[in-house]
Amino acid sequence: MLNVGFIGLGKMGRLHMSNCLHIDGVRMVAAADRSKKALKRAKSLGVSNLYIDYRDLLSDSLDLDAVIISLPNFLHFESIRSALEAGLNVFVEKPLANTVEECREIVKLVEASGRKLMIGHCMRFMEAIEKMKDSMDKGHIGNLEVVTIEEVINGPFAHAAVPSPVSEWWFDPKKAGGGALLDLGYHLIDLFRFFAGDCRVLFSSLDHKFNLPIEDGAIVILHSIGSSTKGIINVGWYQKTVFPKFNLRLILHGNAGYVSSDDLVPSNLYFHAIKQGTKNLFLKIVGKKIRPLSYTYYYESYYKELKHFFDSIRQDTHPSISAVDGLKTIEIIEEAYKVCNRN
Amino acid sequence: MGSVVGLVRTQSSEEQIRDAISKALELIDFNAKNSVNSVAVKVNLCYYWHAATGYTTDPRVVAGVIDMLRERYGKDIGIKIVEADATAMKTNHVFLMLGYEKLANEKKIELFNLSHDNLDEKRVNVNGREIMFKIPKSLLEADLFVNVPKLKLMGATIITCALKNVFGCIGSPRKIVYHHFLNEAIVGINKILHPHLTIVDGLTALGRSPVRLGLIMASCDPFSIDWVASKIMGYDPSRIDYLKLARKEGIGSPNGIKILGEDLEKLRKMFPHANAFGLKWSNKILLRLLKFYSAIVGDTVPPELEENINASH
Repeated sequence: MLNVGFIGLGKMGRLHMSNCLHIDGVRMVAAADRSKKALKRAKSLGVSNLYIDYRDLLSDSLDLDAVIISLPNFLHFESIRSALEAGLNVFVEKPLANTVEECREIVKLVEASGRKLMIGHCMRFMEAIEKMKDSMDKGHIGNLEVVTIEEVINGPFAHAAVPSPVSEWWFDPKKAGGGALLDLGYHLIDLFRFFAGDCRVLFSSLDHKFNLPIEDGAIVILHSIGSSTKGIINVGWYQKTVFPKFNLRLILHGNAGYVSSDDLVPSNLYFHAIKQGTKNLFLKIVGKKIRPLSYTYYYESYYKELKHFFDSIRQDTHPSISAVDGLKTIEIIEEAYKVCNRN
Repeated sequence: MGSVVGLVRTQSSEEQIRDAISKALELIDFNAKNSVNSVAVKVNLCYYWHAATGYTTDPRVVAGVIDMLRERYGKDIGIKIVEADATAMKTNHVFLMLGYEKLANEKKIELFNLSHDNLDEKRVNVNGREIMFKIPKSLLEADLFVNVPKLKLMGATIITCALKNVFGCIGSPRKIVYHHFLNEAIVGINKILHPHLTIVDGLTALGRSPVRLGLIMASCDPFSIDWVASKIMGYDPSRIDYLKLARKEGIGSPNGIKILGEDLEKLRKMFPHANAFGLKWSNKILLRLLKFYSAIVGDTVPPELEENINASH
């Protein structure tokens, strides 16, 4: 049994906690958050050790194996360092940290600690992305020439039917670390690396449609270091999209063909939800394990990434996404910011 | 008694919009006051979404309103563009993000957050319910109160325009506390605050999807505006709950409403109508189904929906 603590119970922390309920061999032992409401919810899910300050959680004798960190970007570095120093395995939401310097430090700390650190690069676990990778690896599209990836949504300005304020740290460039490129582009650059390997920035352009000091849109062109593959990244926070719509699109263009995520995601999200929900109901009736969140085509990836993290601890294998992946992605983002400034 | 409602269509340049506003005011023969020193212009900036989404007042319309006010009352009048914080929106951010800081610099006018104003507690009785509002003093003290709402649909009330934009004047940010009795709250706040003039931004209206309607509406009576707006959006105004309540509570009357300018039927055909039942209930029904499914199967609910489910009963 793995004992797990949760640091940060915002939107992502709550999701990870709910997903843990479906993973065998995981015991939710502790949680830390400044919100009493969030802690009350954690208690209702069986978490008995509750803290306002995560440092108290880490210093208590709880016999934890791992922590799941879902704090605002600017708190990642310090909380990761504290957790590693406490001898814990770490799952952290993306980005790994706000700067290359912090990421390098984390890579060193992970190596020195001998613990596992995985970052929530959930898009690699999306079924459509897994199928595209499989198709490319099998040679169905020939040599990969160009990857186009775009995600234009609300970002932090998503508006739920029950409204809640946008966290103030998003408006502070130092705390947020960046805008749409860091928030969404981080995923897309990681996906380019997933398909085409390490890369450099050929061009970047940042937009400030909302007049904020951080960018709300970016277009970046990447070039693979080991091949001629190029990538076009298009991200934006400026579009009003309402759940369950999700404006993410990826196309792998090869010299023998192409594969597009549009062909691999459900064409009717409501029909998909009914179909998968019915399957889960049937699995429940016959006493088998359900596929959590499979009724959404996107959120299942969060369950899968977390399960992968816990499997890697149990089997003592390296998680498929390491601190180095986080570092390399942040290096590219910093390069994109510099290239844009030069332009 | 209902008032005259002027309907004018326009293209998108600032000059054309300004001309359309002037024409709309001529249609309604607007002559509220002779001496005006201070004006509060209440825009609708309910969230961080651009005017082209159909959600927020277009700064170009506000620019036209400012020009019109200066033309009528002199270039030295004090004009404040006002908005109050909302549950999910902070006025200081929205002024910057939606281009109002730029507009204020260009036009040399003041942006004012009503939530930072001195707030007067006022109580009104609506439909047997006593409701307390925190009212910004600036609105009570301004010589002229101009309401500049957006023409759009909304799940809770079906339509939203002039009377609902006055609801946005409430100084306390957590307006969501009024949402359990929203119709009463809309009527209640309109018993306290009375805009002298309403100019509707229908450049981009919001129906089933946004639509470039290119419309400016004007009237001295917000009830008359909403009555006509409801017709433009394809709903029988006598079946809109808050308008029914407003009539009952003496806020306005459809008797004597006169529409001048553009053909209403032509505008109605352009507006992307949405089924009222679907608008009001589809999300609630889906959330109930998801809640039921989650309880039976034990599946996780995405965080975007979790709080909505908890709040839906």
